Amino acid sequence: MTARPPIAPADAGRFDIDRRRALTLLAGGMALALSSCGPPREEIVPYVSMPEGMTPGLPLTFATAVAPFGYAQGVLATSHEGRPTRLDGNPRHPSSLGAIDIFAQAEIMSLYSPDRAQAVRHGDDIAAWSAFEGALQAQLEQEKLRRGAGLRIVTGRITSPTLIRQLQALADVFPAARWLRFEPIDDDAPRAGAVAAFGEPLVTLPHLDRAKVVLTLDADPLGPGPQQLRNAAAFAKVRQSRLTPDDFLRLYAVESMWRLTGANADERLALAPQLMRNVALRVAQALGASVDAGDLPDRARRFADAVAKDLAGNKGRAIVLAGDTQPPEVHALCHWINAQLAAPVDHLPPVDANDKSHAQSLQELADDLGAGRVETLIIIDSNPAYAAPGALKLRELIGKAPFSAHLGLTDNETAQRCQWRLPMSHALEAWSDLRAVDGTASIVQPLIRPLYDTRSAHHVIGLLHGDLGADPYALVRETWQARATGDFESQWRRWLHDGVIADSAAAPVTPPQPHLPNVAPAQGTPPLTLVLAPDPSLWDGRFADNAWLQECPRPLTHEVWGNSLKIAPQDAAIHGLRDGDVVKLAHDGVTVAAPVRVQDGQPAGVVAATLGLGRNAAGAIGNGVGFDVYPLRGPAAGWHIEGVTIEATDQRHAPPTTQHHFRLDAEDKDILRTLAIDDLPRGTASSQDRGESLPSLLPRQNEDGYQWAMVIDTSVCIGCNACIIACQSENNVSVVGPEEVEAGRIMHWLRVDTYFLHEKDEPPGFQPVPCMHCEHAPCEPVCPVAASVHDGEGLNAQVYNRCVGTRFCQSNCPYKVRRFNWFAYSHDQAYANLGADTVTAQYNPDVTVRGRGVMEKCTYCVQRISRARREAEKTDTPIPDGGVVTACQSACPTRAISFGDLNRKDSSVNALRHEPHHYAMLGHLGTRPRTTYLARLNNPNPAAQDDGA
Amino acid sequence: MPQIFRPYADTVLRVALLAILVVPVAAIGAAYAVMWSPYVTGQNVVIEQPVPFSHQHHVGALGLDCRYCHTAVERSPVASVPPTHTCMTCHSQLYTNAQMLAPVRKSLASGIPIRWNRVHRLPDYVYFDHSVHIANGVGCTTCHGQIDDMPLTRQTAPLTMSWCLSCHRDPAPHLRPQSQIFSTTWRPPKDAEKAGRALMSAYHIDTTHLTDCTVCHR
Repeated sequence: MTARPPIAPADAGRFDIDRRRALTLLAGGMALALSSCGPPREEIVPYVSMPEGMTPGLPLTFATAVAPFGYAQGVLATSHEGRPTRLDGNPRHPSSLGAIDIFAQAEIMSLYSPDRAQAVRHGDDIAAWSAFEGALQAQLEQEKLRRGAGLRIVTGRITSPTLIRQLQALADVFPAARWLRFEPIDDDAPRAGAVAAFGEPLVTLPHLDRAKVVLTLDADPLGPGPQQLRNAAAFAKVRQSRLTPDDFLRLYAVESMWRLTGANADERLALAPQLMRNVALRVAQALGASVDAGDLPDRARRFADAVAKDLAGNKGRAIVLAGDTQPPEVHALCHWINAQLAAPVDHLPPVDANDKSHAQSLQELADDLGAGRVETLIIIDSNPAYAAPGALKLRELIGKAPFSAHLGLTDNETAQRCQWRLPMSHALEAWSDLRAVDGTASIVQPLIRPLYDTRSAHHVIGLLHGDLGADPYALVRETWQARATGDFESQWRRWLHDGVIADSAAAPVTPPQPHLPNVAPAQGTPPLTLVLAPDPSLWDGRFADNAWLQECPRPLTHEVWGNSLKIAPQDAAIHGLRDGDVVKLAHDGVTVAAPVRVQDGQPAGVVAATLGLGRNAAGAIGNGVGFDVYPLRGPAAGWHIEGVTIEATDQRHAPPTTQHHFRLDAEDKDILRTLAIDDLPRGTASSQDRGESLPSLLPRQNEDGYQWAMVIDTSVCIGCNACIIACQSENNVSVVGPEEVEAGRIMHWLRVDTYFLHEKDEPPGFQPVPCMHCEHAPCEPVCPVAASVHDGEGLNAQVYNRCVGTRFCQSNCPYKVRRFNWFAYSHDQAYANLGADTVTAQYNPDVTVRGRGVMEKCTYCVQRISRARREAEKTDTPIPDGGVVTACQSACPTRAISFGDLNRKDSSVNALRHEPHHYAMLGHLGTRPRTTYLARLNNPNPAAQDDGA
Repeated sequence: MPQIFRPYADTVLRVALLAILVVPVAAIGAAYAVMWSPYVTGQNVVIEQPVPFSHQHHVGALGLDCRYCHTAVERSPVASVPPTHTCMTCHSQLYTNAQMLAPVRKSLASGIPIRWNRVHRLPDYVYFDHSVHIANGVGCTTCHGQIDDMPLTRQTAPLTMSWCLSCHRDPAPHLRPQSQIFSTTWRPPKDAEKAGRALMSAYHIDTTHLTDCTVCHR
C-alpha cells in the first residue's frame, strides 16, 4: 500500500516512566484539556479603510487576460477579498467567447504555487534587486562601448505591444544587440509555407462554422493551442442536430498520431507524416493541377480519393489545413488548394512581430555562445536549457556567458544555469497588455499585489534601458495613450471593464493568388519515424510544476503523471512489446528510455511522444515525471525525426492511467450512443427512456419550485478537459498524486470517458460524466447516517459533516461518480507540497474543503444555485433561464453542457430533452437521472473507409 | 463447604444492574447538558474585546441604526464589522483623547486593523446568509437579542442547528415587516400567528424547501 507521511513520528511511544509520574501527567493533561477544550476563538479583522466598491463577503470579478503560450486569452478573474480564486472565460473576447482552456485556468495554480521563485538569487545566495541592478548597470556600461554586440535577450513569444515597444526601442541604445525569440512549440513551418505561398508570413485562421468539408493533414485545430477555443466554438455550430446532413460538417483527419482533431473526425486515416504530401497532391490533382501524386497504400489511396472528391464538390465550403509536422512546401500546397476551393479562411498579419524563425534564433544563440560572442545574456520567461533541441547543447552553453540573468516564475533548468535568478511577477500580479492570435488586444490588470519580491518583464527591460524605476502601469498607459481617440481616461476604464480593446483585431488581408508550388511526391516507405507533439496537459513543459495539469487525464489514453511512447500494434509485435515495457529510443547517439503504449490507430512505422515531461527542475510536483524527448530533437527543431531505433529492455514502468477506473456495467454502445446524421429520426420526440415507465415503490417527490437538470451533447464534446479543471478550481477538488491515482483514487468529480465504439482505430466518442443526480438515487437509501439526501430541487446532496465514511454510497452508485477522501488530501496529508498556505489561498470559500474520511461528488455547483436563489429572493424575481451556470458549463468551448430548470417551459434543458437522440445513461436501472445525454452524431463517408471495416 | 461468593457479591450485582439502567441515561443526559451548555454554545457568554465597544451606548442611547456600521448586511452573507474609518467618523471629533479609544486611534495611525473577537460563531460547514434573512423579514433583534441593552456584546441565542430549524420549520411567528427589521423596540404583535401568515405570503416564503440540507450545508 502507499506510504503516507506519518501523523506521529516513528519512535513515539517509547519512553520510561514510573506510575506516580504517569498519574501526575494524566491529571495535568486532563485539566489542560478541559480548560482549553471549547469552541475555538476566532477573530474578525476588518479593514482600516475599506476600498470603494467592495462588499465584504461578496466576490468581485475583473476582466484581464493571461497568455499560457504567448497569445492572450481573455478571462474574468473572481476575487474574494483581494484574493483571486478562479478564472473564467470573458464572453466579450473573440478568441475566448466566454470559454477557457485548461492552461489558462491552471494559471491560478501557478500564481499560488509553493515552488515559485521568491527572491533574487546570485548563484546560491539570496540577493537584493538593488544588487542585480548595480551589477547589470556595470555590465551595460561595457555593452554600450560595444554598441551592444555582446547583448542577447532571449524570450518566448511576446505579443504585448508595450513589451515589444520596449524591446524594439533597445535597438536605439544597443544597435548590435539581438532579441531572440523561441517557443518550443513553434510555428516555423506554417510561417515559411505562408511566405512561400503569399510572400508574407500570414497567419491562417479557418472559419470552421462556414465549412462543410474539412481535411486536416496532421493539423490539430481542435487540439490544445491558441486557436482551440474559437475553432471548437465554430466546430460546434456545424455539428448540431437541427442541421440537415448537407449542412453538417464532415471532418476528415489524416494523422501521424492520435490528436483531438482526429478523435473528433468522421473519417480518420493513420499515415506516416512523410506520405501526407501525397494525399495533398491527390487533392490538388482533383482540382485540376497536373502533378505527380506518387503512391499511397490502398486504404490511404481510397481515403484520399474520397476526400478529394468531397472537397472538390464543396467549393466555397471546404478547407484543407496542414499541421506542424508538414514541411513548408506542403503548407504552400495547401494554401494553393484553399485558394482553388475558395476556402472560408482569413489571412491575418502575424501578431508575433519577431520575424526570425525559432530554429534560426536558437541556432544563432548556440553559435554565439559557443564562439564566446555573448557577454550579457538576459532570458525572460523562457527555458532553453530544457526545451531547446538537444543537438544544440544549450544546456551546457548557457553557462558560458560571463553575465547571465533569468527572469521566470520558478527556478527552472535555465535559471539554475544563470548567474542571476530573478523572480518574475505572475500575470495576475502585474500590469501588462497582450494580443490574441487574431490581434485583439487586452489590458492585463493585476488582481493581487505581488506575493513575493517579484518584478515583471517590463521592469527588467526597463533596467536594460537604464530606467531603474520603470513602472509597468505607466508604460502600458503610455502605449495606449498613443492609440486612443478622444477621452483617454474613459476609454481606459472601458477597456479595463470589458477586458478587450475594441477594434484592435487585425483586419484580414486579401493575399495574392498563390502559385502551385513544386512538391515532389514521397517515394517508398519511410524509416521508423518519431513524431513529436505538445503534451495535451503540459504543453511544452512549462506547466510541469502545476499539479492540476499533471493530474489532468490526457484525452484518449487517460494517462496522468507521465507520458508514454505510442507505438502501432504491428511495430509492437515486431519487437515483442506490450503496454508498459520500457524501450531505449535512440537517434544520432542520443538515447532516451521510454515506456511504450500500444495504440490502435497509430500508423505502422511511426512512434509518437509528447514534449514537456522528464524535467528535473520543476519543483516537487514536476521533477522526474515522465521522459524527456527534447534531447532527440535536431538543430532545426522539427516535429518528426526519421531513422530512430527502438531497443527493448527488460524494465517495466507505465504512467498511471484512469482509463479503467470507472467501468460501468453495460455495453459501451448503450453508454455512449452514436448515430449518423443521416439516420437521425427527425420530428419525433425522444423515447424518454429515462426509466419512467418502470414501476417504483418510492414515493413521488414534490416537484414545485426549481427542478434542476443537465443535458450534455456528446456530438460536440471534443475531449478538451476544460470542464474537469473548471470543476476542480470551483469546488476545491484535491490533487492526490501518482501513487493514489494508481490505487484508483483520483478525485475529479467530473470525468470525461473515451469510448472506442467501432474499431479501435476509428475515432472514439467522449462522454463527460458528472453526478447524475438521480431522482431515485441508489446512493441515498444506503447511507446509515443520512449524509446522502435528496433536496427539494432535484439535487442529490452530500452533507460532509454527517458523513462517517462507510462508502456504501460509492459502491451502490452505478455510474461511479462518488469520490472518497482516503487521506486528508487537502490538509496535512496533501501530495508533495500542496499543503502549503499559498495553495489554500486558491480555495473557493463558498465550498467546504473536505477532510479525511468524507465522501464527495459533483453537486451541480450547489453554491452557484444557492447564490442565484438568494439573489432571486432578495429581488423577489424568479431565477431567469441561464441564471445558474455551472463551472463545467461555463468553461466548455463548444457549449456541450446545458443546465436549467425543468419547471420552466422554455428552458434549454426542456427543449433538449425532447430531441430524438436524447437518452439517459443506464436508464434501464430506473434511477431516473437528472443528467442526460444527446447521442453523438457523426457524418461518415463510406467511400473513405476500408472495405469490410 | 467454603462460600464461592463473598457477602458483598449481592450488592455488586444490584449496583451493576442499576448502573446498566441508569448510567446510559445519565451519560446521554450529561452529554446533552454539556452540548447545550453555554460552555459549548457560547450563549450569554460575554466576550472581551480589544476596545470595550458598547452597543447599549451607541444603539440604545444614541440611536444609531444597525446599518451605519454593519453596512453589508442587506447585500452580503456577512453583516460585516466596520472598518476603523467608520469609528473615526465620530471619534475624530468626540472623545478624541479617551483612553478607551486608544487602540482605535492607533489602528488608524498605523494602518493595522483592530482584531475583534468573534461573538457569533458558526462551524465552517454552515453557510449562513444575512442578506436573504433580512429580505425575508427576520429582524436583527430576533436572533441577536436586545442588542441595545448590552454594554458588551454577547450571543443571546444558542445558535444550535435545532434552534435554527425551529424557525425554518415555522418562520411565521418570527417575521416582521420590512420597516421594522432594524428596530430594537419591535415586539411580536398579539396575533403573531395571523400576522406571521400574512407576512409569509407577502414575502413569498415557501417552507417546503427551507429544511433541505443544501440550504445551509454545501
